[in-house]
Amino acid sequence: MATVEDVTTSVPVLEVSGITRRFGDRLAVDDVSFSIPPGEIYGLLGPNGAGKTTTIKMICGLLQADSGTARVAGHQAGTLAAKAVVGYVPQDVALYPDLTGRENLQFLGRLFGLRGEVLDERVDEALELSDLADRAGEHLSSYSGGMQRRLNIAAGLLNHPVLLVLDEPTVGVDPQSRHAILERVQSFGQLGMAVVYTTHYMEEAERVCDRVGIIDQGRLVAEGTRRELVDRLGERDRIDLGASGDIERWAEACRALDGVDGAAVADHQVQLLVHEGRKLLPAVLEAAERTGVQVSSVDVVEPDLEAVFLHLTGTALRE
Amino acid sequence: MHPALAIAAKDVRQRLRDRSAIVLGIVAPLVIAALMSLAFRGAETIHLTVGVVNSDHGSAAAGLLSALRSPGLKDLVTVVPEQSEGSASAAVHAGHAGAAIIIPSGFTNSVSRSRPLPLTTLTNVNNTVAAQITSSIAQSFVAQVNADRLSVATASAAGEPTGSAAAALDKAHLSLPIQTVQRAFGAKRLKTISYYGPSMAIFFLLFTISFTARSFFVERDQGNIERMLAAPLRPRSVLFGKVLSAFVFGIVSLSIIAAVTTFAFGADWGNPLAAGLLSLAMVLAVTATTALVIGVAHTQRQAEGISSFAVFGLALLGGNFVFVSVTPPIMQRLALLTPNGWALRGYTDLATTGGGLAIVGLPIAAILIYTLVVATAASVLAPRALTP
Repeated sequence: MATVEDVTTSVPVLEVSGITRRFGDRLAVDDVSFSIPPGEIYGLLGPNGAGKTTTIKMICGLLQADSGTARVAGHQAGTLAAKAVVGYVPQDVALYPDLTGRENLQFLGRLFGLRGEVLDERVDEALELSDLADRAGEHLSSYSGGMQRRLNIAAGLLNHPVLLVLDEPTVGVDPQSRHAILERVQSFGQLGMAVVYTTHYMEEAERVCDRVGIIDQGRLVAEGTRRELVDRLGERDRIDLGASGDIERWAEACRALDGVDGAAVADHQVQLLVHEGRKLLPAVLEAAERTGVQVSSVDVVEPDLEAVFLHLTGTALRE
Repeated sequence: MHPALAIAAKDVRQRLRDRSAIVLGIVAPLVIAALMSLAFRGAETIHLTVGVVNSDHGSAAAGLLSALRSPGLKDLVTVVPEQSEGSASAAVHAGHAGAAIIIPSGFTNSVSRSRPLPLTTLTNVNNTVAAQITSSIAQSFVAQVNADRLSVATASAAGEPTGSAAAALDKAHLSLPIQTVQRAFGAKRLKTISYYGPSMAIFFLLFTISFTARSFFVERDQGNIERMLAAPLRPRSVLFGKVLSAFVFGIVSLSIIAAVTTFAFGADWGNPLAAGLLSLAMVLAVTATTALVIGVAHTQRQAEGISSFAVFGLALLGGNFVFVSVTPPIMQRLALLTPNGWALRGYTDLATTGGGLAIVGLPIAAILIYTLVVATAASVLAPRALTP
């Protein structure tokens, strides 16, 4: 069984090649390919329903690909050998409220064939990692949401995986716990573990991921480091405008302006991808007046992954 | 530890911590069996007190009293003399006597006349069993007297002197006609608790089906099943682990109920080895049914509906609520399509015959055939429940 220690950096821990999956008529994942070397944290960034979860379920062997292959440490995804070296952390806390923290970890450890002293060591290690050693004997139902999240992640490390797959681990988590989770994920990469991290939060992807794959409507539309992706934007800026009124109509009017590459509406905001944002602002505000929209805030931001997403897909991440 | 064993151990631990599971699996069957045993205790040992007002004191009245005190009725009836119809009526009304028979003055003399006096029975609507038995005894006696009168009339018509015929009547040995005696083919009488102990244990064992199936879908909805499937184990290990927990819980539940009903309530489960094997077969049948419900249902709600149907359908058909022997023949035949019907038949035979393995061979075979058929269907359908 491969472990973090014996997977060399020259061999990708995860190789995904052209995987495709349909649910009825809907193409959930369309010909997605990427690979991850040891120690790299790879972010799959995309809005809800983009195909992130379906992709990682195929990597973890929970779903079969209609076509294409995924290999983990050289093993076909879904085989027992591949599953043995993958740590899967589902989006929801998949633990038992009526069992203690320790009992939950012991149970999951046993599913990976751990027993005796090794099991005890791994469980203690996971409890330390989640800062829950002093509450190990309490039922999970007495834990806070953040504590449950931390244990949920620690449970994915019991088998010392070479590939850790985290499915939106910070959804519904308070800012403090989110910060703690992100710090922990960063440390996994430093330990030599390959990590697949799905999220629809651009800030998280920018903060913890070495490389990011942008996925939209089942297709991996771009991938690279943050720098590489942002460089695709050239000299473009992103303008975030808070407004009330018929902002869809306003966004449409903005798209017609020279210098606007993209306009998207999300959360009572219009995001514009523009060349020389500050020069274009008067025309944008004039369009607002013309369409009867009241502008409440204007923010010209540095190019980031959100702008990249807008550039590549024409939509906002939160749409 | 094999993953299936780990899953089963986890499930059993959860169920032992779940008060509702303990109540449903152990407390409820014990309480209900005890209550039903109390409620139906009268059915197994009927005994009634019959008040008799003898205003006649003649030979016919003596014949009736003699019949009531005969060895054939001594376990059933205790005769209490009453002075008058009023006191007899009061005794019946107060429940001191189940019923009363009034022998009118001149009854013996009237027997030889053309219009004999009638016997009167006093009954209470609140004690219909005593009323029916007392009326039945009185009618049997009257039928006997009428038969004797017919004999005398026939002799008289054939030319016998009237006095001789009257003397013949006087000397007639008045007694009840030949009676039927109910007796089971077994050597022992079946105590109510010996029926309702196993019956309620099985009925609540059937709830394991809904409990386990529901728990499976709850875990599936919460992502626990998916997390298990991400571990290096075969999908059927998850299913096997889940139904194994149902099996273990069923065995524990039945064993506790058997022990408590035996030692606390005096139930007779029969030969321990035979009863144990019968219980094992029954728990296997329940386990297979659980797997089938998981395979057929697609959601938690469906699992609850299907398992409720299965639980109450099997319980009603199998005779867990009423003695199958008092149901119409069609129901008796349908009971033999259910594993619990066969199990109850097995337990009843064990308790009444004192027999061993040979007695439960057929019930066990029938239950195992049911199990095999259901398990085969489940092995085809249940893996679908693991597919997202």
